Amino acid sequence: MSDQSKTTARNRESQKLETRRRIIDAAIRVFSRDGILASATAEVAKEAGLSHGSVFAHFGTQESLISAVIEDFGESLARRLHELVASGAGTREVLGAHLRAIGEREDFYASLVVEAPLLPAGARDSLVAIQSSICFHLSPAVAAETRARKIRPMPLYLLFNTWIGLVHHYLANRALFAPGASVVERRGEELLDHFMYLISKGGRG
Amino acid sequence: MSGNPKAGMKLCISCGMPMEKPEDYPSGDRSKDYCVHCARPDGSLQSYEERAAGMAAFIVRTQGLDEEAALSTAKAMMSRLPAWKGRT
Repeated sequence: MSDQSKTTARNRESQKLETRRRIIDAAIRVFSRDGILASATAEVAKEAGLSHGSVFAHFGTQESLISAVIEDFGESLARRLHELVASGAGTREVLGAHLRAIGEREDFYASLVVEAPLLPAGARDSLVAIQSSICFHLSPAVAAETRARKIRPMPLYLLFNTWIGLVHHYLANRALFAPGASVVERRGEELLDHFMYLISKGGRG
Repeated sequence: MSGNPKAGMKLCISCGMPMEKPEDYPSGDRSKDYCVHCARPDGSLQSYEERAAGMAAFIVRTQGLDEEAALSTAKAMMSRLPAWKGRT
């Protein structure tokens, strides 16, 4: 291959990636607004300023678009969480960072929580991947505070699932808990206080 | 919102963990593309089966999934990562 055709191939590849990025970003906005399964790919194309055919050229089916968007979303949430958690952070700080990372993407995350059982299997795997990245930070924090007798000893998965159950319940029903507002912003601190109270030895964490 | 990594932030090719500090790398070796958790004690990359088992055990311990479900989820997560792309 000549240098010129190598450059052309590289440009074509980077243009392809750029368009893919544009479609994913547009889909995140549309899914956040209208829900994941209820959104038509035509709406995503319109939001991205592209033809419907162009969206299908990149993602052959609605399912592959949804999977790619959720995977991308999971990666970005995990990365943000990693940025927010300082090394050596305590349990409360890790959970606070978790709420903040969700809060910055609340509309999409809430749709994901509500629609997960109906979404392609890849979406469920992405949720487990997101939870794994939180647990990666949570696990050493809880272990240290359990050793220091600040947190009551309990299996980590029960501690974590109790937290997730609480947060996801508020997100799934946010129209009841914080109509027209961010439930994380409005109720997050209260949930954090309550959860720390539940797991702490001898009173409020 | 962007899926692009922060400039200079390397992601482990085997598990996707962001690698920033020297202790994130096997023996602090920043030339490696995989993290300390995916390395064997001698610094080499774990095998596909070793990594899948390790990831599944972490999911069971932290999220309480059924062992089989955790293993298939771990493999699905790994199939998206550069080191294991296409493996199932």
